[in-house]
Amino acid sequence: MSEMTCEQLRELDAELALGILPARERARAVAHLDQCPGCREHIEQLALVGDDLLGLLPGTEPPVGFESRVTALLQPPAPDPAPAPAPAPAARRWLLRPRLLRPRVAAAAAALAVACGFGGWAAGTAIQASAPPPSPTARANAQLLQAALVTGGREVGRVFAHPGARGWVYMSVDLEKPMPEISCVLDHKDGTMTRLGTFSLQDGYGYWVATTDVNATTLAGARLLTPEGSVLASAHFA
Amino acid sequence: MGLPLGRAPDEALLSGLATGDPEIAVAFVRRFQRTVFGVAIAVVGDAQLAEDIAQQTFERAWRHAQVYDSRRGSVRTWLTAIAHHLAIDAVRARRANPVAPEDLDALLDIVTQTPEQHAVAAETSAGVRAAVATLPREQARALVMAGIYGLTAQQIADMEHVPLGTAKTRIRTAMHKLRRTLGAEESLR
Ligand SMILES: [Zn+2]
Repeated sequence: MSEMTCEQLRELDAELALGILPARERARAVAHLDQCPGCREHIEQLALVGDDLLGLLPGTEPPVGFESRVTALLQPPAPDPAPAPAPAPAARRWLLRPRLLRPRVAAAAAALAVACGFGGWAAGTAIQASAPPPSPTARANAQLLQAALVTGGREVGRVFAHPGARGWVYMSVDLEKPMPEISCVLDHKDGTMTRLGTFSLQDGYGYWVATTDVNATTLAGARLLTPEGSVLASAHFA
Repeated sequence: MGLPLGRAPDEALLSGLATGDPEIAVAFVRRFQRTVFGVAIAVVGDAQLAEDIAQQTFERAWRHAQVYDSRRGSVRTWLTAIAHHLAIDAVRARRANPVAPEDLDALLDIVTQTPEQHAVAAETSAGVRAAVATLPREQARALVMAGIYGLTAQQIADMEHVPLGTAKTRIRTAMHKLRRTLGAEESLR
Protein backbone atom coordinates (compact mmCIF):
# COMPACT_ATOMS: atom_id res chain seq x y z
CA MET A 1 0.00 0.00 0.00
CA SER A 2 1.70 3.17 -1.19
CA GLU A 3 1.78 6.38 0.78
CA MET A 4 -0.82 8.98 -0.07
CA THR A 5 0.34 12.57 -0.57
CA CYS A 6 -1.50 15.64 0.73
CA GLU A 7 -2.49 16.45 -2.83
CA GLN A 8 -3.96 12.99 -3.40
CA LEU A 9 -5.81 13.18 -0.11
CA ARG A 10 -7.35 16.54 -0.94
CA GLU A 11 -8.75 15.05 -4.15
CA LEU A 12 -10.74 12.61 -1.99
CA ASP A 13 -11.50 15.02 0.86
CA ALA A 14 -15.27 15.30 0.41
CA GLU A 15 -15.79 11.56 0.03
CA LEU A 16 -13.60 10.90 3.06
CA ALA A 17 -15.41 13.48 5.20
CA LEU A 18 -18.79 12.03 4.21
CA GLY A 19 -17.67 8.48 4.94
CA ILE A 20 -18.36 7.14 1.44
CA LEU A 21 -14.85 6.17 0.31
CA PRO A 22 -14.43 2.48 -0.54
CA ALA A 23 -12.58 0.61 2.22
CA ARG A 24 -9.21 0.37 0.47
CA GLU A 25 -8.92 4.06 -0.35
CA ARG A 26 -10.27 4.92 3.03
CA ALA A 27 -7.53 2.94 4.78
CA ARG A 28 -4.83 4.78 2.81
CA ALA A 29 -6.45 8.14 3.53
CA VAL A 30 -6.74 7.44 7.24
CA ALA A 31 -3.08 6.38 7.34
CA HIS A 32 -2.21 9.78 5.89
CA LEU A 33 -4.40 11.64 8.39
CA ASP A 34 -2.64 9.86 11.23
CA GLN A 35 0.53 11.73 10.41
CA CYS A 36 -0.76 14.96 8.86
CA PRO A 37 -2.44 17.46 11.22
CA GLY A 38 -3.14 19.87 8.36
CA CYS A 39 -5.20 17.38 6.39
CA ARG A 40 -6.89 16.19 9.60
CA GLU A 41 -8.08 19.71 10.36
CA HIS A 42 -9.26 20.10 6.77
CA ILE A 43 -11.29 16.89 6.90
CA GLU A 44 -12.81 17.83 10.27
CA GLN A 45 -14.03 21.09 8.76
CA LEU A 46 -15.63 19.27 5.85
CA ALA A 47 -17.18 16.73 8.21
CA LEU A 48 -18.93 19.62 9.96
CA VAL A 49 -20.52 20.51 6.62
CA GLY A 50 -21.76 16.90 6.43
CA ASP A 51 -23.26 17.29 9.93
CA ASP A 52 -24.96 20.52 8.84
CA LEU A 53 -26.46 18.75 5.85
CA LEU A 54 -27.99 16.07 8.10
CA GLY A 55 -29.39 18.89 10.22
CA LEU A 56 -31.67 19.77 7.29
CA LEU A 57 -33.61 16.53 7.57
CA PRO A 58 -37.06 17.20 8.98
CA GLY A 59 -38.13 15.72 12.31
CA THR A 60 -40.72 12.98 12.02
CA GLU A 61 -43.08 11.66 14.70
CA PRO A 62 -42.17 8.03 15.43
CA PRO A 63 -44.90 5.35 15.64
CA VAL A 64 -47.17 5.24 18.69
CA GLY A 65 -45.54 3.55 21.67
CA PHE A 66 -41.99 4.29 20.56
CA GLU A 67 -41.24 6.50 23.55
CA SER A 68 -42.24 3.92 26.14
CA ARG A 69 -40.55 1.04 24.31
CA VAL A 70 -37.26 2.92 24.12
CA THR A 71 -37.46 4.29 27.62
CA ALA A 72 -37.89 0.75 28.95
CA LEU A 73 -34.64 -0.23 27.22
CA LEU A 74 -32.63 2.55 28.81
CA GLN A 75 -32.55 1.07 32.27
CA PRO A 76 -29.66 -0.52 34.10
CA PRO A 77 -29.83 -4.33 33.83
CA ALA A 78 -29.63 -5.12 37.56
CA PRO A 79 -32.55 -4.07 39.76
CA ASP A 80 -31.80 -2.04 42.85
CA PRO A 81 -31.28 -3.92 46.09
CA ALA A 82 -33.61 -3.04 48.95
CA PRO A 83 -33.56 0.69 49.58
CA ALA A 84 -30.82 1.69 52.01
CA PRO A 85 -31.37 4.47 54.53
CA ALA A 86 -28.57 6.44 52.92
CA PRO A 87 -26.31 5.65 49.98
CA ALA A 88 -22.83 4.48 50.92
CA PRO A 89 -20.34 7.19 50.07
CA ALA A 90 -18.22 4.68 48.15
CA ALA A 91 -21.14 4.08 45.82
CA ARG A 92 -20.92 7.59 44.49
CA ARG A 93 -19.20 7.72 41.21
CA TRP A 94 -18.38 10.23 38.57
CA LEU A 95 -20.18 9.41 35.43
CA LEU A 96 -18.30 11.41 32.88
CA ARG A 97 -14.81 10.19 32.25
CA PRO A 98 -12.07 12.40 30.86
CA ARG A 99 -12.83 13.18 27.27
CA LEU A 100 -10.61 12.21 24.42
CA LEU A 101 -8.61 15.23 23.51
CA ARG A 102 -9.09 15.73 19.84
CA PRO A 103 -7.54 18.33 17.61
CA ARG A 104 -9.55 21.49 17.93
CA VAL A 105 -12.45 21.54 15.60
CA ALA A 106 -12.27 25.25 15.07
CA ALA A 107 -9.73 27.87 15.96
CA ALA A 108 -12.66 30.08 16.92
CA ALA A 109 -13.61 27.67 19.66
CA ALA A 110 -10.11 27.84 21.09
CA ALA A 111 -10.15 31.62 21.03
CA LEU A 112 -13.38 31.68 22.98
CA ALA A 113 -11.93 29.19 25.44
CA VAL A 114 -15.12 27.19 25.40
CA ALA A 115 -13.35 23.96 24.59
CA CYS A 116 -13.55 21.83 27.67
CA GLY A 117 -10.65 19.72 28.71
CA PHE A 118 -10.80 17.31 31.54
CA GLY A 119 -8.03 15.46 33.21
CA GLY A 120 -7.24 13.76 36.46
CA TRP A 121 -10.76 12.87 37.48
CA ALA A 122 -10.88 11.15 40.81
CA ALA A 123 -13.67 9.69 42.82
CA GLY A 124 -14.12 11.72 45.95
CA THR A 125 -14.18 10.39 49.45
CA ALA A 126 -16.93 11.54 51.70
CA ILE A 127 -15.85 13.84 54.48
CA GLN A 128 -19.32 13.84 56.03
CA ALA A 129 -21.40 10.76 55.51
CA SER A 130 -24.45 11.97 57.44
CA ALA A 131 -26.47 12.84 54.36
CA PRO A 132 -30.13 13.43 55.15
CA PRO A 133 -32.42 10.44 54.58
CA PRO A 134 -34.08 10.28 51.18
CA SER A 135 -37.46 11.89 50.98
CA PRO A 136 -40.01 9.82 49.07
CA THR A 137 -42.09 12.87 48.23
CA ALA A 138 -39.21 14.60 46.49
CA ARG A 139 -38.97 11.64 44.14
CA ALA A 140 -42.49 11.95 42.83
CA ASN A 141 -41.89 15.53 41.88
CA ALA A 142 -39.87 15.33 38.66
CA GLN A 143 -38.31 18.71 38.95
CA LEU A 144 -34.74 19.82 38.77
CA LEU A 145 -33.45 22.23 41.36
CA GLN A 146 -31.18 24.81 39.83
CA ALA A 147 -28.98 27.61 41.07
CA ALA A 148 -26.31 29.93 39.72
CA LEU A 149 -22.69 29.34 40.72
CA VAL A 150 -21.41 32.74 41.71
CA THR A 151 -18.04 34.22 42.53
CA GLY A 152 -17.60 37.89 43.44
CA GLY A 153 -21.16 38.65 42.35
CA ARG A 154 -20.53 37.17 38.89
CA GLU A 155 -22.23 34.06 37.53
CA VAL A 156 -19.62 31.50 36.51
CA GLY A 157 -21.80 28.44 36.07
CA ARG A 158 -24.97 26.58 36.99
CA VAL A 159 -25.84 23.65 39.20
CA PHE A 160 -28.76 21.31 38.63
CA ALA A 161 -29.82 18.78 41.23
CA HIS A 162 -32.29 16.00 40.60
CA PRO A 163 -34.00 14.94 43.82
CA GLY A 164 -34.04 11.35 44.92
CA ALA A 165 -32.15 8.71 46.85
CA ARG A 166 -30.51 7.92 43.53
CA GLY A 167 -30.45 11.51 42.44
CA TRP A 168 -27.73 13.36 40.65
CA VAL A 169 -26.02 16.70 40.50
CA TYR A 170 -24.95 18.27 37.23
CA MET A 171 -22.76 21.31 37.07
CA SER A 172 -21.18 23.43 34.39
CA VAL A 173 -18.62 26.05 35.25
CA ASP A 174 -16.29 28.47 33.49
CA LEU A 175 -13.57 29.76 35.79
CA GLU A 176 -11.53 31.09 32.86
CA LYS A 177 -8.30 29.62 34.16
CA PRO A 178 -6.93 26.09 34.41
CA MET A 179 -7.54 24.51 37.82
CA PRO A 180 -5.51 21.40 38.65
CA GLU A 181 -7.73 20.40 41.54
CA ILE A 182 -11.18 21.48 42.59
CA SER A 183 -13.44 19.77 45.04
CA CYS A 184 -17.19 20.06 45.12
CA VAL A 185 -19.35 19.89 48.22
CA LEU A 186 -23.10 20.02 48.74
CA ASP A 187 -24.34 22.01 51.73
CA HIS A 188 -27.42 20.92 53.63
CA LYS A 189 -29.74 23.13 55.67
CA ASP A 190 -28.81 21.34 58.91
CA GLY A 191 -25.21 22.50 58.47
CA THR A 192 -23.79 19.19 57.29
CA MET A 193 -22.10 18.81 53.97
CA THR A 194 -21.47 16.07 51.42
CA ARG A 195 -18.29 15.97 49.44
CA LEU A 196 -19.03 14.92 45.86
CA GLY A 197 -15.50 14.55 44.54
CA THR A 198 -12.53 16.29 43.01
CA PHE A 199 -11.74 17.11 39.41
CA SER A 200 -9.55 19.38 37.35
CA LEU A 201 -10.33 21.93 34.66
CA GLN A 202 -7.66 22.11 31.99
CA ASP A 203 -9.04 25.03 30.06
CA GLY A 204 -11.03 26.47 32.93
CA TYR A 205 -14.33 25.22 31.57
CA GLY A 206 -16.08 21.94 32.14
CA TYR A 207 -19.22 20.17 33.19
CA TRP A 208 -19.73 16.98 35.09
CA VAL A 209 -22.28 14.93 36.90
CA ALA A 210 -22.21 12.84 40.05
CA THR A 211 -24.80 10.53 41.53
CA THR A 212 -25.71 11.23 45.10
CA ASP A 213 -28.66 11.43 47.43
CA VAL A 214 -30.46 14.71 46.78
CA ASN A 215 -33.16 15.84 49.18
CA ALA A 216 -35.01 18.84 47.78
CA THR A 217 -36.24 20.01 51.17
CA THR A 218 -32.86 20.02 52.90
CA LEU A 219 -30.41 20.87 50.11
CA ALA A 220 -29.09 24.38 50.69
CA GLY A 221 -26.33 24.90 48.16
CA ALA A 222 -23.09 23.81 46.57
CA ARG A 223 -19.52 25.08 46.72
CA LEU A 224 -16.38 24.61 44.67
CA LEU A 225 -13.23 24.64 46.79
CA THR A 226 -9.48 24.73 46.27
CA PRO A 227 -7.39 21.99 47.92
CA GLU A 228 -6.67 24.51 50.70
CA GLY A 229 -10.39 24.94 51.31
CA SER A 230 -10.95 28.45 49.96
CA VAL A 231 -14.17 28.98 48.06
CA LEU A 232 -13.92 29.35 44.27
CA ALA A 233 -17.64 29.67 43.67
CA SER A 234 -20.85 28.96 45.52
CA ALA A 235 -24.50 28.37 44.72
CA HIS A 236 -27.60 28.71 46.88
CA PHE A 237 -30.80 26.87 46.12
CA ALA A 238 -33.67 29.22 46.98
CA MET B 1 -37.65 27.61 41.45
CA GLY B 2 -37.80 24.07 40.20
CA LEU B 3 -36.95 23.49 36.58
CA PRO B 4 -39.06 20.90 34.75
CA LEU B 5 -36.89 18.16 33.27
CA GLY B 6 -38.29 19.12 29.90
CA ARG B 7 -36.33 22.36 30.15
CA ALA B 8 -33.03 21.01 31.43
CA PRO B 9 -30.01 21.59 29.14
CA ASP B 10 -29.37 18.82 26.60
CA GLU B 11 -26.04 17.97 28.19
CA ALA B 12 -27.62 17.71 31.64
CA LEU B 13 -30.19 15.24 30.35
CA LEU B 14 -27.52 13.20 28.58
CA SER B 15 -25.45 13.11 31.75
CA GLY B 16 -28.46 12.18 33.85
CA LEU B 17 -29.33 9.36 31.47
CA ALA B 18 -26.34 7.42 32.77
CA THR B 19 -27.88 7.32 36.24
CA GLY B 20 -30.65 5.03 35.02
CA ASP B 21 -33.34 7.41 36.25
CA PRO B 22 -36.50 6.56 34.24
CA GLU B 23 -37.74 10.16 34.36
CA ILE B 24 -34.56 11.36 32.71
CA ALA B 25 -34.85 8.65 30.06
CA VAL B 26 -38.40 9.78 29.24
CA ALA B 27 -37.37 13.43 29.04
CA PHE B 28 -34.37 12.57 26.86
CA VAL B 29 -36.28 10.34 24.45
CA ARG B 30 -39.16 12.80 24.25
CA ARG B 31 -36.83 15.64 23.36
CA PHE B 32 -34.91 13.87 20.60
CA GLN B 33 -37.18 11.16 19.17
CA ARG B 34 -38.52 13.25 16.27
CA THR B 35 -35.00 14.17 15.18
CA VAL B 36 -33.65 10.64 15.47
CA PHE B 37 -36.62 8.98 13.79
CA GLY B 38 -36.64 11.71 11.11
CA VAL B 39 -33.05 10.91 10.12
CA ALA B 40 -33.70 7.18 10.10
CA ILE B 41 -36.89 7.31 8.03
CA ALA B 42 -35.36 9.76 5.53
CA VAL B 43 -32.47 7.39 4.85
CA VAL B 44 -34.15 3.98 4.97
CA GLY B 45 -37.69 4.86 3.87
CA ASP B 46 -39.25 2.04 5.86
CA ALA B 47 -41.07 2.76 9.12
CA GLN B 48 -40.31 -0.55 10.81
CA LEU B 49 -36.61 -0.45 9.98
CA ALA B 50 -36.47 3.22 10.90
CA GLU B 51 -37.95 2.43 14.29
CA ASP B 52 -35.30 -0.25 14.90
CA ILE B 53 -32.59 2.21 13.97
CA ALA B 54 -34.02 4.98 16.15
CA GLN B 55 -34.19 2.54 19.06
CA GLN B 56 -30.57 1.45 18.53
CA THR B 57 -29.54 5.10 18.36
CA PHE B 58 -30.92 5.80 21.83
CA GLU B 59 -29.34 2.64 23.21
CA ARG B 60 -25.98 3.68 21.84
CA ALA B 61 -26.29 7.19 23.22
CA TRP B 62 -27.17 5.74 26.61
CA ARG B 63 -24.22 3.33 26.61
CA HIS B 64 -21.72 5.79 25.23
CA ALA B 65 -22.81 9.05 26.83
CA GLN B 66 -19.30 9.43 28.23
CA VAL B 67 -17.72 9.71 24.77
CA TYR B 68 -19.98 12.57 23.75
CA ASP B 69 -17.68 15.52 23.09
CA SER B 70 -19.36 18.91 23.20
CA ARG B 71 -16.61 20.45 21.10
CA ARG B 72 -17.70 18.31 18.18
CA GLY B 73 -21.21 19.68 18.20
CA SER B 74 -24.47 19.66 20.08
CA VAL B 75 -26.10 16.59 21.61
CA ARG B 76 -28.63 16.75 18.76
CA THR B 77 -25.84 16.69 16.14
CA TRP B 78 -24.23 13.76 17.91
CA LEU B 79 -27.47 11.76 17.97
CA THR B 80 -28.08 12.64 14.33
CA ALA B 81 -24.65 11.30 13.39
CA ILE B 82 -25.26 8.04 15.30
CA ALA B 83 -28.67 7.55 13.67
CA HIS B 84 -27.21 8.32 10.25
CA HIS B 85 -24.37 5.79 10.60
CA LEU B 86 -26.78 3.08 11.70
CA ALA B 87 -29.21 3.89 8.89
CA ILE B 88 -26.50 3.83 6.22
CA ASP B 89 -25.22 0.50 7.51
CA ALA B 90 -28.73 -0.95 7.44
CA VAL B 91 -29.35 0.25 3.90
CA ARG B 92 -26.00 -1.06 2.64
CA ALA B 93 -26.74 -4.45 4.14
CA ARG B 94 -30.24 -4.74 2.72
CA ARG B 95 -30.67 -3.05 -0.58
CA ALA B 96 -29.07 -3.47 -3.99
CA ASN B 97 -30.57 -0.21 -5.19
CA PRO B 98 -30.05 2.17 -2.29
CA VAL B 99 -32.41 4.96 -3.27
CA ALA B 100 -35.53 5.28 -5.37
CA PRO B 101 -35.38 8.27 -7.77
CA GLU B 102 -38.71 9.63 -6.52
CA ASP B 103 -37.46 9.51 -2.92
CA LEU B 104 -34.38 11.45 -3.92
CA ASP B 105 -36.45 14.15 -5.62
CA ALA B 106 -38.73 14.44 -2.61
CA LEU B 107 -35.80 14.74 -0.23
CA LEU B 108 -34.08 17.33 -2.44
CA ASP B 109 -37.22 19.45 -2.26
CA ILE B 110 -37.27 19.11 1.52
CA VAL B 111 -33.65 20.09 2.11
CA THR B 112 -33.81 23.08 -0.24
CA GLN B 113 -37.08 24.54 1.02
CA THR B 114 -36.69 28.19 1.92
CA PRO B 115 -36.55 29.05 5.63
CA GLU B 116 -40.02 30.68 5.49
CA GLN B 117 -41.45 27.23 4.84
CA HIS B 118 -39.81 26.02 8.03
CA ALA B 119 -41.40 27.76 10.96
CA VAL B 120 -38.92 26.41 13.48
CA ALA B 121 -35.78 26.37 11.33
CA ALA B 122 -32.73 27.28 13.36
CA GLU B 123 -30.56 30.09 12.11
CA THR B 124 -27.62 27.89 11.16
CA SER B 125 -29.74 25.38 9.29
CA ALA B 126 -31.35 28.26 7.36
CA GLY B 127 -27.88 29.19 6.08
CA VAL B 128 -27.10 25.62 5.03
CA ARG B 129 -30.49 25.25 3.40
CA ALA B 130 -30.00 28.42 1.38
CA ALA B 131 -26.51 27.27 0.36
CA VAL B 132 -27.79 23.89 -0.84
CA ALA B 133 -30.64 25.60 -2.70
CA THR B 134 -28.21 27.72 -4.73
CA LEU B 135 -26.19 24.71 -5.92
CA PRO B 136 -26.70 23.55 -9.51
CA ARG B 137 -29.28 20.76 -9.43
CA GLU B 138 -26.82 18.00 -10.38
CA GLN B 139 -24.45 19.04 -7.59
CA ALA B 140 -27.26 19.18 -5.04
CA ARG B 141 -28.35 15.69 -6.13
CA ALA B 142 -24.82 14.34 -5.78
CA LEU B 143 -24.48 15.99 -2.38
CA VAL B 144 -27.72 14.50 -1.05
CA MET B 145 -26.93 11.07 -2.47
CA ALA B 146 -23.49 11.10 -0.88
CA GLY B 147 -24.12 12.99 2.36
CA ILE B 148 -27.57 11.72 3.27
CA TYR B 149 -28.01 8.38 1.50
CA GLY B 150 -24.33 7.47 1.91
CA LEU B 151 -23.88 6.41 -1.72
CA THR B 152 -20.35 6.04 -3.05
CA ALA B 153 -19.18 8.09 -6.01
CA GLN B 154 -19.43 4.95 -8.16
CA GLN B 155 -23.06 4.38 -7.15
CA ILE B 156 -23.85 8.01 -7.91
CA ALA B 157 -22.15 7.73 -11.30
CA ASP B 158 -24.24 4.64 -12.09
CA MET B 159 -27.50 6.27 -11.03
CA GLU B 160 -26.84 9.49 -12.89
CA HIS B 161 -25.32 7.78 -15.95
CA VAL B 162 -22.17 9.92 -15.78
CA PRO B 163 -18.47 8.96 -15.60
CA LEU B 164 -17.02 8.27 -12.13
CA GLY B 165 -14.80 11.37 -12.35
CA THR B 166 -17.84 13.56 -12.96
CA ALA B 167 -19.63 12.16 -9.91
CA LYS B 168 -16.56 12.74 -7.74
CA THR B 169 -16.21 16.32 -8.98
CA ARG B 170 -19.88 17.09 -8.28
CA ILE B 171 -19.63 15.86 -4.68
CA ARG B 172 -16.40 17.70 -4.07
CA THR B 173 -17.47 20.98 -5.70
CA ALA B 174 -20.73 20.99 -3.75
CA MET B 175 -19.00 20.30 -0.41
CA HIS B 176 -16.42 23.00 -0.94
CA LYS B 177 -19.05 25.57 -1.94
CA LEU B 178 -21.02 24.81 1.22
CA ARG B 179 -17.94 25.03 3.34
CA ARG B 180 -16.98 28.41 1.91
CA THR B 181 -20.49 29.77 2.38
CA LEU B 182 -20.76 28.52 5.94
CA GLY B 183 -17.19 29.53 6.78
CA ALA B 184 -17.93 33.08 5.65
CA GLU B 185 -21.01 33.18 7.87
CA GLU B 186 -19.01 31.88 10.79
CA SER B 187 -16.47 34.71 10.53
CA LEU B 188 -19.27 37.31 10.45
CA ARG B 189 -20.56 36.24 13.86
ZN1 LIG C 1 -1.67 15.92 4.38
